[in-house]
Amino acid sequence: MKGSKIKHIGFTKQRRRNIIGCFISILIAIVFLFPIYWLIIMSFKSDTETFGKILTYYPHKFTIDPWLENFRDKDFLVSLRNSVVIATLSMALSLTLGIPAAYGMGRYRVPGRKALLLTFLITQMLPASLMLTPMYLIFNNLNILGTFFAPAIAIASGSIPFIVITLRPYFKSIPVSLDDAARIDGCGVLKSFFKIMLPTIKTGIITVTVISFLNGWNDLAYSMTFNVEAKMRPLTANIYKFQSKYGTRWNCIMAYGAILVLPVILIFVFLQKHIIGGLTAGAVKE
Amino acid sequence: MKKFKKMLAFFMAFSLAAAMLAGCKSKPAQQGGDSTKGGGTENTVKDGGAQKTDEADSSQNATEVSIWHYFENEADALEKLVNDYNEMQDEIRITCTYVSREELMKQYTIGAVSGELPDIGMVDSPDMASYIALGVFEDITEDLNGWEDLQYFYDGPLSSCKDAEGRIYGLPNNSNCLALVCNMDLLNAAGYTKPPKTWDELKEIAAATTDPADSVYGFAMCAISNEEGTFQFIPWLYSAGATVSTLGSEIAVKSLSFLTELVNQGYMSKEVVNWSQGDAYNAFCAGKAAMLETGTWQVSTIDADVNGTFQYKYSLLPKDKEYSSVIGGENFGVCVGSKAKDACVEFLKYMQSAENNADWCEIAGKIPVRSDSATLKDMWTEDERYAVFTEGMNYAVARGPHEEWPTISEAVYSAVQSALIGEKTPADAMAGAAAIVDPIIAANPIAK
Amino acid sequence: MKMEARKRLEGFAFILPGFLYIVLILGYPLLYNFVLSFKNMDVKNFKTAASVFIGFKNYIFLFKDETFQLVFKNTFVFTVGCLVFQFVIGFVFALFFSKKFTLAGPIRGLILIAYMMPMAVTALLGKNIFGVSEGVVNDILMKTGMIKEPVEWLVSTGTAMIAVIAVNCWVGIPFNMLLLTSGLTGISDEIYDSAAVDGANFRQRFFHIILPLMRPAILSVLMLGFIYTFKAFDLMFVMTSGGPLNATDVLGTYAYNLSFTQYKFSLGAASAIVLFICLFAVGLFYLKLISKEED
Repeated sequence: MKGSKIKHIGFTKQRRRNIIGCFISILIAIVFLFPIYWLIIMSFKSDTETFGKILTYYPHKFTIDPWLENFRDKDFLVSLRNSVVIATLSMALSLTLGIPAAYGMGRYRVPGRKALLLTFLITQMLPASLMLTPMYLIFNNLNILGTFFAPAIAIASGSIPFIVITLRPYFKSIPVSLDDAARIDGCGVLKSFFKIMLPTIKTGIITVTVISFLNGWNDLAYSMTFNVEAKMRPLTANIYKFQSKYGTRWNCIMAYGAILVLPVILIFVFLQKHIIGGLTAGAVKE
Repeated sequence: MKKFKKMLAFFMAFSLAAAMLAGCKSKPAQQGGDSTKGGGTENTVKDGGAQKTDEADSSQNATEVSIWHYFENEADALEKLVNDYNEMQDEIRITCTYVSREELMKQYTIGAVSGELPDIGMVDSPDMASYIALGVFEDITEDLNGWEDLQYFYDGPLSSCKDAEGRIYGLPNNSNCLALVCNMDLLNAAGYTKPPKTWDELKEIAAATTDPADSVYGFAMCAISNEEGTFQFIPWLYSAGATVSTLGSEIAVKSLSFLTELVNQGYMSKEVVNWSQGDAYNAFCAGKAAMLETGTWQVSTIDADVNGTFQYKYSLLPKDKEYSSVIGGENFGVCVGSKAKDACVEFLKYMQSAENNADWCEIAGKIPVRSDSATLKDMWTEDERYAVFTEGMNYAVARGPHEEWPTISEAVYSAVQSALIGEKTPADAMAGAAAIVDPIIAANPIAK
Repeated sequence: MKMEARKRLEGFAFILPGFLYIVLILGYPLLYNFVLSFKNMDVKNFKTAASVFIGFKNYIFLFKDETFQLVFKNTFVFTVGCLVFQFVIGFVFALFFSKKFTLAGPIRGLILIAYMMPMAVTALLGKNIFGVSEGVVNDILMKTGMIKEPVEWLVSTGTAMIAVIAVNCWVGIPFNMLLLTSGLTGISDEIYDSAAVDGANFRQRFFHIILPLMRPAILSVLMLGFIYTFKAFDLMFVMTSGGPLNATDVLGTYAYNLSFTQYKFSLGAASAIVLFICLFAVGLFYLKLISKEED
């Protein structure tokens, strides 16, 4: 009898919490998603309506042309492929170099680790635009201008320190007992890194994966500076098409923004499942 | 665990594929050079490796010339001109690459250091002097020696291709200037049948047409914090009788005071300080401004954008002491380091021949840079909209040429902005600009 | 002893590839700008001044220049303003959405869209939303009666920075939330539950369990946030061009303008190095903060 009563109270309390949580989160969403809503409706309005005398909160005259104009671009598929290649390549570079470095920084008491950490930080302390000229000179010497390696390498040089700084604390927080357990199991260094350490901080890994992909996906400056050819341009380059001396084509730019975000959302939805999965699995139980 | 492994495998396969694609990249360019159009279609000077193979493979021995430009609506017309030229002869093969203006300027600046530049580059006329100083463009004075056509080029546009000693680094491609366009429906409703001719009339009509309740401003222009802002202010400055060399003078202050007054009286939106010329134009087309300071290039789109919602009429910009306007336009120059300088000059001469310049400017809706081109077609005199701009060219002044024009320009638009938003009085604003500009011009006067 | 040396080697083996990559790719650009900042290279003497060193003259010039002083101040105002809001709100969101309720996952995901948007689009959207007469922010504020006259957001030097910070926070909050959320999931449920059983209320749990456990993650989020915000460029470049009248000009846009618009290469490099030195100081501070856990 007593037990069931407690259970009952617990149930209603949980339910009330759920409702409150949902209510607050909807309020947050309204504020936070309003600009997104605004972007979407702007992409379906004509610019005359957007800049008309009356501010409209939904498209009074619905048009899909701005979206079509983005898709109809004869280089759309090429640009899409370029974006995927640049983003994937820079992500791969960042992860393969960044995660081990973060691991080494987090779990080994190597001498001079503070200096190493500071160096990783230092490289991020100049504005990107001022790096363009010297980087161009390097890539020119390496003879990789005009290939996707140039932007990918440049983008990764920003992502790697990010990964090191972000993941280092995660690796640090893994209990030493896990190391010992791995040793006892006879795991080698690499095996324990891949089989035990990486899965343990899966959430962190997924986060930096997404962010290093986004760094490449949203890059404009590096891809444009190091590759002049039209065939090499990523999707982001299209922004120039809609901002010319003839004026800004707002609806096209807004549609363009939405189109750029869609694939990332899809990837994210896919990964989110794994994040939630990762919460229940993984992690050492003490 | 299993899922994670799967993801890892997926990730590795994916990135491997990406790496392979990235590595392959130089090949398609070569193949394009071999087969599709019979010679390096995508040959850029930058891809050293690909270029060498291209040269070896293209058996016709045609000299490759790459052009970088930022024409948008005019890109097709340029392609056509280039294709015609490529088909006409087989010594020289031209390839065009569109690079946005912002990006192109960045490429020149980086190229000044790295030496990697196209063969021919397009440039906005006031910027040319700086790039000449930076060693981006090649001196082609000797190559143009004896080219009789040179005498037909208007002085204003041609001067922007010269350095202080009068050496020529390129040829002007097209011109434009600024004029006034009025929403005649709004003017008529306020009881005016003609566009204003003087500053006083402008102010009067602006006052009569301003209608806050209907969010209509009497006048719109662009006063944004970049070159466009300076471009749009210059006609007012010169109309009052001042120049960029006399920014501190009373008449210079007067011109700024006039515009400031328009804002303070509510005849012009204060938001003009964030408006590009395109934004101001959009406001006009949406019926939110009765009058607009407008450029030649906007004529080609105005019918589509106004879409019959009102009648419009072009006129010269109203004057204070004298009529005034400002020259805009683009030049093409031969870049330093080009291995095909002769071929480049040949093409420039072809491109800027009287007929071609006339054809080109007709298609692109621009004003020719040669006096003999302007007489070849009647568009610039018959179409009354273009006729206004053609007349305006007589009063239009050039910006510079001066290698430090960007610094001069910044001083000018900053002064305009600070007065319009009420941060400084027009007198203080202009004094501030003069303090920056006067020493620059004293040390290095603007070439006449 | 041997064992320790071996472990060191192992550690270096993990770190070195990434480290060398970074140093090789970014070492030269740093050096390049550093050297350039002591020269006198601009459009006037570009062809001749490649090797003329003028010592600290560029730096002295900058710090005497009123515009630079304003830009310097703006950069700090922007960075601190953004960091405070995006960190605090991002943290609150991370905590809130880690609770178990039906919409937690979906809405957390939706909020992240702001972070995924290319900055140029976000900046243009911001420019539109904060328009004076046709901006939706003013429209809503007027309709709800919170203001009587439209606020001159991007037109007035007093309010432009607020609008820019607001837009940056819109992007930064999801970013902070994302990084802090994955930090939170590191705290195992057991620790959390055992504290709850002990009768600790939320405040106690927050200050005695969550904060200390998340300290390393928080510090790295703040450090990264500081770096990225301090060298912001795209947002101002597109949304305000640094205007009106340098009111939203920050070191990133200022250095770009000097180098790529005014062709004052050495001054541009010098202002970039000033930016660098500020961040370097913050980096040293960060190292000091984390050295407790290191030793």
